[in-house]
Amino acid sequence: MGNQITRLSKYNKLLLITGISFLIILGTVLLTQGVVWASPGQEKTEQASPLHPSFPFLDEDGNNVLETGYPISTMNTCGACHDTGFISDHSYHASVGLNEITQPGGTVTERPWDISPGVFGSWNSIEYRYLSPQGDDRVDLTTPAWIQLYGLRHVGGGPAMYARNGELLADLPYSSTSLETNIVNPVTGKLERWDWNKSGTVEMNCFLCHTPSPDNVARADALQSGNFKWVNTSTLIGSGIVSISGETYTWNESLFDENLEILPDAIQIQDPTNNNCGACHGLVHDNVEDPLVTLGCSPERWSTITTGQIISPQKMSNSGMNLANKETLNRSWDVHAERLLNCVDCHYSINNPLYYQESETTRPDHLLFDPRRVEIGEYLEKPLHQFARGNSAQSYVAPELNNSMRTCESCHEVGSTHDWLPYLESHLDVLSCESCHIPQMYSSGNQVHDWTVLLPGDLPRRECRGAEGDVNTMGSLLVGFEPVLIPSPDVEGNMRLAPHNLITTWFWEYGDPPRPVILADLKAAYYENGDYHPGIILRFDENSDGELTADEMVIDSQAKEDFVQDRLSLLGLSNPRITGEIQPYSINHDVASADWALDDCTACHGDESRITQPIKLAATSPGGILPAFVSGTERNLAGEIEFSEDGEIYYYPAAAAKSLYVFGHNRLAWLDWIGLGLCAVVFMGVMTHGGLRIYFSTRKPTSLKPTKKVYMYGAYERMWHWLQTAAIVILILTGFIIHRPDSFAFMDFRNMVLVHNIIAAILAVNAFLSLFFHLATGEIQQYIPRPRGFFDRTFVQIKYYLLGIFKGEHHPFEKTTDKKLNPLQQITYFGLLNVLLPLQGITGALMWGLQRWPNLAQRLGGLPILAPFHTIIAWLFAAFLILHIYLTTTGHTAVSSIEAMITGWEDIES
Amino acid sequence: MKPSKFNWIFGAVFILFIIIIPIVIFFPRVENSISSDPWDNVPLKVPHTDHSAIIEGPFETGPEVTRACLECHEDTAQEIMATAHWTWESKPYQLEGRDNTVTVGKKNSINNFCIGIQGNWPSCTSCHAGYGWEDANFDFSQEELVDCLACHDNTGTYVKGLAGIPVEGVNLLEVAQSVATPTRENCGSCHFNGGGGNAVKHGDLDETLYFPPSNVDIHMGEHDFMCTDCHQTESHNIMGRSISVSLDDENQIYCIDCHSKELHEDDRINAHVDSVACQTCHIPNAATRDATKMYWDWSTAGSDEIEESVHTYLKIKGSFVYEGNFTPIYRWYNGGVAERYILGDMIDPDQLVHINLPAGNITDNPSKIFPFKVHVAKQPYDTVNNILLQPKTFGEGGFWTEFDWDLALQLGSDITGLDYSGQYGFTETDMYWPTTHMVRAATEALTCDQCHGPDGRMDWESLGYYGDPIDWGGRFQSNSYQP
Repeated sequence: MGNQITRLSKYNKLLLITGISFLIILGTVLLTQGVVWASPGQEKTEQASPLHPSFPFLDEDGNNVLETGYPISTMNTCGACHDTGFISDHSYHASVGLNEITQPGGTVTERPWDISPGVFGSWNSIEYRYLSPQGDDRVDLTTPAWIQLYGLRHVGGGPAMYARNGELLADLPYSSTSLETNIVNPVTGKLERWDWNKSGTVEMNCFLCHTPSPDNVARADALQSGNFKWVNTSTLIGSGIVSISGETYTWNESLFDENLEILPDAIQIQDPTNNNCGACHGLVHDNVEDPLVTLGCSPERWSTITTGQIISPQKMSNSGMNLANKETLNRSWDVHAERLLNCVDCHYSINNPLYYQESETTRPDHLLFDPRRVEIGEYLEKPLHQFARGNSAQSYVAPELNNSMRTCESCHEVGSTHDWLPYLESHLDVLSCESCHIPQMYSSGNQVHDWTVLLPGDLPRRECRGAEGDVNTMGSLLVGFEPVLIPSPDVEGNMRLAPHNLITTWFWEYGDPPRPVILADLKAAYYENGDYHPGIILRFDENSDGELTADEMVIDSQAKEDFVQDRLSLLGLSNPRITGEIQPYSINHDVASADWALDDCTACHGDESRITQPIKLAATSPGGILPAFVSGTERNLAGEIEFSEDGEIYYYPAAAAKSLYVFGHNRLAWLDWIGLGLCAVVFMGVMTHGGLRIYFSTRKPTSLKPTKKVYMYGAYERMWHWLQTAAIVILILTGFIIHRPDSFAFMDFRNMVLVHNIIAAILAVNAFLSLFFHLATGEIQQYIPRPRGFFDRTFVQIKYYLLGIFKGEHHPFEKTTDKKLNPLQQITYFGLLNVLLPLQGITGALMWGLQRWPNLAQRLGGLPILAPFHTIIAWLFAAFLILHIYLTTTGHTAVSSIEAMITGWEDIES
Repeated sequence: MKPSKFNWIFGAVFILFIIIIPIVIFFPRVENSISSDPWDNVPLKVPHTDHSAIIEGPFETGPEVTRACLECHEDTAQEIMATAHWTWESKPYQLEGRDNTVTVGKKNSINNFCIGIQGNWPSCTSCHAGYGWEDANFDFSQEELVDCLACHDNTGTYVKGLAGIPVEGVNLLEVAQSVATPTRENCGSCHFNGGGGNAVKHGDLDETLYFPPSNVDIHMGEHDFMCTDCHQTESHNIMGRSISVSLDDENQIYCIDCHSKELHEDDRINAHVDSVACQTCHIPNAATRDATKMYWDWSTAGSDEIEESVHTYLKIKGSFVYEGNFTPIYRWYNGGVAERYILGDMIDPDQLVHINLPAGNITDNPSKIFPFKVHVAKQPYDTVNNILLQPKTFGEGGFWTEFDWDLALQLGSDITGLDYSGQYGFTETDMYWPTTHMVRAATEALTCDQCHGPDGRMDWESLGYYGDPIDWGGRFQSNSYQP
C-alpha cells in the first residue's frame, strides 16, 4: 500500500502531504482560537443617603439626658429603633475574645499566658500589656485597667460591660482577689478595689463609627480617668452637642428641639467612612489636597506600623513623605481608595442586603445569585455587626468568620485581564492576587519590638523596616520594603503565597508556667528614682557620657544580659530569660493597579526569586537566641530562621515552598551535571572517533568505489525529518533558557515559554502525522528489527564502527530504499521515537496541563517529579544530537548522508 | 518532475512557515490602544527663509513694510482680510430666538472687561492686525494697512501703540528682515495681555507661557510648542476659536486632532471620554502662576480715596478681585453659545446677565463637561431702558480722562446707537472663558476623588445629574438619568 503513494510523482506527493498537513494545522489553530472576550461589568453600588430622624438621647434608665443630666446610654438611645442588644451581643468588635475565653495556654497562639484569641486576653507586642489570667501572682492588667488602656481601640460593650462569666460587671460581687473587681495600684503594686458602680461601664459606642468626627481625644481622657460611663458621651464633644468643663458635662440645648430631641442637622448619622475605621485600624488619609505626612514607625496606627499599609487616594508623589524616588511614584497609595471604595464596601456587615453574597463553597451549583435576603427595614433594625473579613495572620478572634469576605475574583475578571500570562491557572493555584499586586510597600513598617530594654516613656527599642536614618524624624528616607511571601490558606483552604510582614518581639520571660515580665517589673529593673538605675547606665553607656541614648539601649553582650537578669531575679522572678517571638502580619491593602503590579517573569523565575526571598527579622539578637513563630496563624512557616554573618537574623521561606517547582529557579543540580557530563563525553567521543578516521584515511587513502544515485528519502520523509530537527533544536534552546533564565537575561522569559509550548505542539502534530505516514505506507517496517540474527548483525555493525571504519572497510549493511537503517540505528530510533520522544512529550504536556488536569499531574508527583524527568530527557536528546550529526558523516563521503536528507538522492556503492 | 538541485529549498521554506506561522498566531500581542503617535499630526515647519538679504529699507511706516511684503506675497493681504484677526467680526450668524442674523466680534460687541471698543478705537486697536484703525472710518479694504510684522516679527522689539501704529524707536527695517514663523511671543504680545494687562482676561493665557516650565503647560513647556502647532494655519486661516467672542465651533481645533481618543490604558478612564472633555481632567487648575481677574466692579471707579494697585483698584477701572490657581467652573459644552448678549438686548437688572452662555446640556449627546473661567463684573446699564451700555473710556470726553459716567455713557451710546435715557446704574454680568491652555502632564491629571465622592469639585445636581454618577450611573446608562 505504501508503494502506491511512493509511486506518485514526487511533486504530487509533496502537494498531498502539504495539503493534509496544512489542513490539520489550520484545524488545530481554529479549534484552539478560543479567546475569551470579557466586557467590563459596570456594577454600581448604591450608598444609603443619611436619612435619620431626630431622636432623644436617653440615659441608662431610659430618661432624657437633658432632664436627668446622666450620661448617654447608647443601648437605650439607639435601641429605641435598632436592636442594640442583638448588635452588641453579636459583634466580635465588641466581644474581642470575651466569648472565647479559655484556660491560659489554651488559645491557638499557644502562648501560656493568653486566655483568649482576641485583644481582650491575648498579649501583643505593641502595647506589651496583657490581661493577667486569674490566679497569677504578678498582675499586669485587670479588667478595669484593660478598659483604660485598650478602651480607646475598643468600640465598647463586650468586656467593657460584661464579666467573664457573662454577668454585667456592675453586678459582680466584690472579691479581693478577683482580677475583674480590682485594679493594680501603680505605686504600691497591690490590688485595689474598683467600684464599678462609680465608674460605670462602656457600652457599645455607636457614635464612634456612625458619626463623621468622633472626638477620640475627649474619649481617651474619659477612659484614662476611669470615667467609663461618660466615655460614649465624650465622643460627641467635638461636634458641639455636649461640652465638658472639669468633670461636668453640659448639653448644648440649642441643638435640641422642643421635644428635647436632637435636631437632624446637629448630628450626622452615617455609614462608617474610611476615617472611622482608620481611627483604630490604620492610617487613612482621605483629603487629597493636603499632602500626607506621617512618621512611618510611630505607634499610633497599628495596621500601618505593623504592615506599612496606608489607605489614601492621594498619589505618593503628592504626599509630604520623604519617599525614595518619589517623583516616579505616580500611583496612589491604595487603588481601591483612589477609586472611592470604602472599607465597608468589602468589609460589609454580613447580613447587609445590598452586599450579601453567598460563598462559592456553599452555593448550589445551579444558582448564580440568590435575591432572597433580609429586607432593608429588618436590616436596619438588626444589623449584624459582624463584618466580612478575610483571613489575616494576626487576627485569631471569631475564626468562624474567616474568609467571609468577597475575594478579589468576586469583583475582578481575572481571565481576560491576564491573557498575557502563560500558565495562568498554575499561577493562580500558587499565588494569591496580593503577591503580585502588592509587590512592595513604600512606607516603612516595624521590624522588631525589643522589650528586653526600656527607652524613656516606657517604650521598647524598635527596629523599622524600610526607613533609613532616624525614623523618628521626617528626614528619614523611606525606601519601603518587599513583603515576604508565605503560604496562606485561601477561601477554599488551599495554600497560596501571600505577602506578609514579620515582626519579631524580644522580651523577658520568667517562671513556669512561663509569663512575660510585666511592665511594672521591667520598669523596676531598669529604673530607680525616676532615672535609669546606675548599674544599667554603667553597662549600657557605650560612649561613657553618662547618658543613655536610644542606640545604646540594646542587650548585645552577656554582661548586659546577666545584669538585667539579676535585676529581674531580685524582684522575685524565677529564671528570667530572653525569648523571641515572630508574628506574621498579612498585607492585603495598598493594592497596586495593573501598571504597578509585578509582571516581570524573572522576578520569580530566576535564581533570585521573590518566592524564596528571605526577609530580615532583626538586626541583632539580644541574648543571642533565635526567635520562634507564634502558633495559630494557619500559615506555613516551615522556613529557616538563621543568623547571618553579621549577627542579623533572616527568615528563609524556601522550605515552606518546597512543594513548588518554579521554572528557572528550582533545578536538580546533580541532574544537570549528569546531563552535561553525558554531552561532554559524547562530544569527546565523536571528536576522537572523527579524528582517528581522518588520521587513518590520510595514511591509507581508500579507493573510491563506483556509486550510483539512489532516491533514498521521499519529500515527506525529508520534511518530517527537518521539521523535527528544527523543532527539537528550538525546544532544546528555549528549554535551556527557561531552565536557566539568568544566564540569558537578554531573552524574554515569557516569550521563551510561549515559543517552547508552540513548537512543542508543532512537534507533537508532526510526530503523529509521521506515525500515520509510517503506518500507512508500511515504512514503519524499516524501524522494526528482524529478530533472527539481530544480535549478530548488531555486533557486526559495532565492530565496523570501532575497527572497520578506520580500515576503510565497506559498511556491513549497505543502504537500500527498503533497508535504510542499520541495526544500531534501529535500536536507537526505536528508543528515541517510541520511548524518549513520547516521554518528553507527555511530561511536557503534563507540565503544561498542570492547570487543566491537576489531579493526573499530581498523582505522578507533580512538577517536582515531572520537571527533572523532562530535563534529563532533554539532556539525552542533546547528547543524541551530537552523536547523530557526527554519524551522518559515516556515509560514502562525509556529506553524502546529509545531502541525501536534503535532496533525497544518495550515492550508494553499486 | 525532474529532480532539480534546488527543490529542497521549497521544503526548507515550507518548514520555516510551519514553525513561524503558529508562533505569530498564538503569541498574545499586547493590545495597545494608543495607536498613533501624536507627533504625526503636529504640522511640519517650513524651513526658515532668511529675509535679511531680501528686504531692503528704509521703512518709515508700517504700511511701507506691508507693501514690501506684498511684492512677493501677493495674496496674503487678501487672505488676512478674510479672517477675524482683520475684521474683528464674525460672519453673519443666525442665533436662536432672533429674527435677523447678527455678526459678533470685538468690532461691535461688548464684554464684561473693558466693555467695548466703539469710540475707544485707538487704545483697543493697538492689538489689531492692522495699522491706523482709529475711528469708525477705517478702510478695511486697503491691503497695505495689514500688519504683517505683529505676527512675523522675530526681534522681539516690535511694539504697537495707539491705533496699531508701531511706536517710536521700533526699527522697522530690522523687524522686517527678521520675519519668520510666528512664535509664542508674537501671539502672546496681544493674547496674554487682553483686558489691559498680563493675565487679566483668559485665565489660561498669560505671560508665564512665554517660557513655561513643564508643569505649567506640557505642550508649550516640555515640548516647546508654538501656538501654531495646535492652531494650525493654512493661508492665514488660523484654526481655533473661543466662545468669548465666537458663536460656534467651526474651524475649531481639538485635542484629538493629534491625540488618539481612547488614549488611556485604563478602561474606566476611557469610559469618561464621551461625557468629560479632555481639558476637564488635564487642566486641574488654571492661572497657576499669575493670578487672573475674576471680578471687576466698575461702579467704584473714579474715586481718589482708594489706594491704587493693579490687582485691587485703579481709578480708571474700579475694583477687582484676582485669583490664582483657581478651580474652574464646570458646565456642559458642545462648542457653541446658548445666549449671546448683543448690544441693545433688554436685561433684567435683578438677575445676573449672561454675556455668553455656553451651549450644551446633559441630554445633548455631543456635549461634554468642560472647564470655564467665569468672570463676573458690575458694569453700567440704562436703568430706564434696561439695556447694557457701552461707555467711551479712551480719548476726549472718555471716562478715563473726565471720570464722568454720564458723559462717557452718553458719548458711548451716541457712537453705538443705543438709546440712553440719562439714568444709569450698575448690574452684574458674567462671561464664560473656556479653559483650554495650561494643560498639565498626564501624571498631574485629576484623580477619581477630586471629582467624585464627598470632597469632589463637581456640582452634580447643577450639571443635571441626580447625584454623583459613581453611585447613580452616568448619563448614558439605563439605571440613572432618564431625560
